[in-house]
Amino acid sequence: MKGMRATTNLTKTGIYIVCIFLSVLSIFPFWVMFMNATRSTFEIQQNSIGLVPSKFLLSNWEILQGKTFDPIVGFVNSMLVSTGATLCAVYFSSLTAYALVAYSWKLRQPFFTFIMAVMMIPTQVSGIGFYQFMYRIGWTNSLWPLIIPATATPAMVFFMRQYLMASLSLDIVDSARIDGSREFHTFNRIILPIMKPAMATQAIFTFVFNWNRLFEPLILLTDGDKYTMPIMVSLLRGDIYKTEYGAVYLGLSMTVLPLFIVYFALSKHIIAGVALGALKE
Amino acid sequence: MKRNMRIVVSLLLICCMSLSLFAGGQAEGATKPARKVINLWSFTDEVPKMLEKYKELNPDFDYEINTTIIATTDGAYQPALDQALASSGENAPDIYCAESAFVLKYTQGDAAYFAAPYKDLGIDVDAKLKEADIAQYTVDIGTNPNGDLVGLGYQATGGAFIYRRSIAKDVWGTDDPAVITSKVGPGWDKFFKAAEDLKKKGYGIISGDGDIWHAIEGSSEKGWIVDGKLYIDPDREAFLDIAKMLIDKGYHNDTRDWTDAWFADMKDAGDKQIFGFFGPAWLINYVMAGNSGGTKPGEGTYGDWAVCEPPVGFFWGGTWVLANNNSPVKDAVGDIIEWITLDSSNTGLQYYWANGTLNGPGGTKDTVASGTVMRKSDGTLDFLGGQDMFDVFVPAGKFATGKNKTQYDETINMYWRDQVREYSYGKKSRSQAIADFKQQVADNLAIDVD
Amino acid sequence: MRKNNISYAKYGYLFSIPFVLAFLIFNLYPTIYTVIIGFTDLRGLGRTTFKFLEDPFENYKSILNNATFIRSLQTTFIIWIFNFIPQVLLALLLTAWFTNRRLKVKAQGLFKVLIYMPNIITAATIAILFNSLTGYPKGPLNDLLMKLGILDAPMNFHLQSGTARGVVSFIQFWMWYGHSMIILIAGVLGINPTLFEAAEVDGATPTQIFFKITLPRLKTILLYVLVTGLIGGIQMFDIPRLFLWGGPDNATLTSSVFIYNQAFAGSYLYNRASAASMIVFIIILVLSGILFYSMRDRAEIKLKKTERNRLKEEKRMGAVR
Repeated sequence: MKGMRATTNLTKTGIYIVCIFLSVLSIFPFWVMFMNATRSTFEIQQNSIGLVPSKFLLSNWEILQGKTFDPIVGFVNSMLVSTGATLCAVYFSSLTAYALVAYSWKLRQPFFTFIMAVMMIPTQVSGIGFYQFMYRIGWTNSLWPLIIPATATPAMVFFMRQYLMASLSLDIVDSARIDGSREFHTFNRIILPIMKPAMATQAIFTFVFNWNRLFEPLILLTDGDKYTMPIMVSLLRGDIYKTEYGAVYLGLSMTVLPLFIVYFALSKHIIAGVALGALKE
Repeated sequence: MKRNMRIVVSLLLICCMSLSLFAGGQAEGATKPARKVINLWSFTDEVPKMLEKYKELNPDFDYEINTTIIATTDGAYQPALDQALASSGENAPDIYCAESAFVLKYTQGDAAYFAAPYKDLGIDVDAKLKEADIAQYTVDIGTNPNGDLVGLGYQATGGAFIYRRSIAKDVWGTDDPAVITSKVGPGWDKFFKAAEDLKKKGYGIISGDGDIWHAIEGSSEKGWIVDGKLYIDPDREAFLDIAKMLIDKGYHNDTRDWTDAWFADMKDAGDKQIFGFFGPAWLINYVMAGNSGGTKPGEGTYGDWAVCEPPVGFFWGGTWVLANNNSPVKDAVGDIIEWITLDSSNTGLQYYWANGTLNGPGGTKDTVASGTVMRKSDGTLDFLGGQDMFDVFVPAGKFATGKNKTQYDETINMYWRDQVREYSYGKKSRSQAIADFKQQVADNLAIDVD
Repeated sequence: MRKNNISYAKYGYLFSIPFVLAFLIFNLYPTIYTVIIGFTDLRGLGRTTFKFLEDPFENYKSILNNATFIRSLQTTFIIWIFNFIPQVLLALLLTAWFTNRRLKVKAQGLFKVLIYMPNIITAATIAILFNSLTGYPKGPLNDLLMKLGILDAPMNFHLQSGTARGVVSFIQFWMWYGHSMIILIAGVLGINPTLFEAAEVDGATPTQIFFKITLPRLKTILLYVLVTGLIGGIQMFDIPRLFLWGGPDNATLTSSVFIYNQAFAGSYLYNRASAASMIVFIIILVLSGILFYSMRDRAEIKLKKTERNRLKEEKRMGAVR
């Protein structure tokens, strides 16, 4: 017994060493980013990896303030887009996945195959089609084209389907029916709680993805009142001849902070033991 | 159940909102009287700031300026601008800016048909060009295939050779720009003779091969495309040998432009001390001054620099201003464009720009397209040890040519420099590098190579 | 029971409506656009009119004869293999550690957050960062290697195809292993805890538990990780484009960057870009088909079989009625 504990401790030490190493690797870019936010453009050009803070945080902040856009507006817009898209994606993907797992319908397999196929088409060309379409129907300078399409997120449907197939027992659906629960109600009250870890996981990914999304918003949003945070950071990079790198890093640092909060808030839900008895054996 | 209702209601709400958005978008386009709005598209806040000044100078000007700024660095400016131009309508750009890397597309290339000739904007082009003495290369680039002028810049980006005074004194006993001009040029033979002199004293003449490339590219007789086919100008082909020689003989620090090591050479932080850089005035203002390791003479390399004529003429960068053919407010657009590009008076944009007084005194002095303006402006810089840079940059604008550019340059230059590196580092034979370059151009751009 | 199943089928359609609607409105046009224009003469900026080619596969032939494209496929594959295998293995290892009920790794929550962190910075920032890190002739990596005595002279990492590809693979690996790990952990959490408890009571070692209980039950989620990893890997775009623009000598030019260049590098060859997209699509389709087949779940097969029988039954019943 003692010997076993010793090996366990040894393994644990090894695990901590590996985890700490990986953590350092992860912290490193953030450290550089935060440090560079306090350095001047020319300090950064001379040595773009800075590990110690300098004294230009305030002047970088002033450059950021001196631009024609309002960071608060950007923050609000980014929040609207990311939250909206995340809610749409998570809820409707779960619903679609539930349809794929819980019911047997004729087009079920073809529909799933179709969803998978959509995911596999490279996006470079379809992007052109999307912008053309949005410009043609005049749906630019609106946040909706960045939110509503998230309702159809094939990758997430795929994930939710896989998750449900592994953890959902159809028996609980049946017992809910016996209790007289309507189908939509069953989904909302019984199935969604089971999917909480999966939803939290995917919510994090979608939120991060939408928060950082740059190219589509850049093309679709041309009005300053609709700019998102990444667009504003991208404006700081203006043209290559005269980039305010210090302010760019400050902008990037500010962009990344809300993501930590969202991550911490959501990761609390990635826990085991929800609706214990209701899980597949 | 209540919760269900809430979800259903919010779903309905979303649907209604999106429908109303659709409807709103359409209604707006249909009804609206003659607008007093000018849509401006740009990739920096330079031109938008100019328009603020214009409104300040012309209180009667009652148009609202609606500015869209999209950075070029993320590759979205052109796609967005293209969509906006093509879809026309209410929010279509009236004035738009194009950078030298892609301006040809909008003046002579695929998107040229959007650009309005300046004469249709009510500008007396020929007289104004003469009066302002605009650098010819900017006119060449801004002229469409029909021979009409559709775009001009405000900045002149003719290049000079920017060198270290102390090193010049050490090697040749003088830092006089006239003498150094005759040491480093004209022509590359003299330049490399100078490189040999510098090497004997342990200096590198330039930082990396990228520095010299801008000069070679800008001075070659013909561009990459001749009669619809790929053409490798002998001057550009010679870059292969030059790049290899620079490495073999150790004439530089082997840096790549815009990397840390390149910036470091501006304040002597590299392996060897570097004698000079090729560049226009903006390189001095925006890049070198800040990277010199000081802010006043005596600190770092600040004040130890001077400019002289380069061995070959070239230009690098610049912004051109264009107007949309379909703009409903052409007269107002014409007034603005004339003020920015062709007004050589003391209240014209270029006078403020050259003297650094656009946003009050003490701003950055820069070279401008109008020779007339530069001749009456003061271009002395502490960074250049009190030298008046306009003495060199006015003729530099004349040497530059705009006739060797194509809309593919950005891409083709990248492929060429990639293959030149393959050869100069000895990874490929010369003929293989050229063959691979042709393959790249053919495969990626569908341009005839033989 | 059977009656129930038949009457509930309509909910399958009903619950898919939002997805289908959003797809039809926003993605149908772009998707069709991608498929169709590969058979047309559409190239050049701002053009909207096009005609179908006499030889519908002209663009396909030209792309398949394009040496740069063929090489980009190989490049994509090499970079993908070198980032994906270590990525999945490390993610599995970390999942095993963090879900090991006996080890009870401390500060787990913190580690999970930290390990996922590389995924929340934008690709552009990461690419710039690594470009500077591997800079030449002076750069932090070169300085470090020279200080440690591993290198005598600075090494130009951006010039060797091996090191350039290595860096791209590493970035991809490092950005995504935390992502895979979180998915796998969520998958493990979906497994009924009583199974682990029972195994522990039976005296199974953590290793046994992982291989005998966790892994088999993780299969469906693992399939997700593998398939999305495959799709994401073959469509790898941002990092290769932003790190060295596909260089040196096309060593990091992936097929997606190639497609992008076809469409945007200057000649606006939309038709050829579309043809190349479809070829890549078919490759992904085949490879994921293989994955699906080799990872097919017995339970799923059984489910399908019963479903098929049920449908048959239904038909028979309908015919009887």
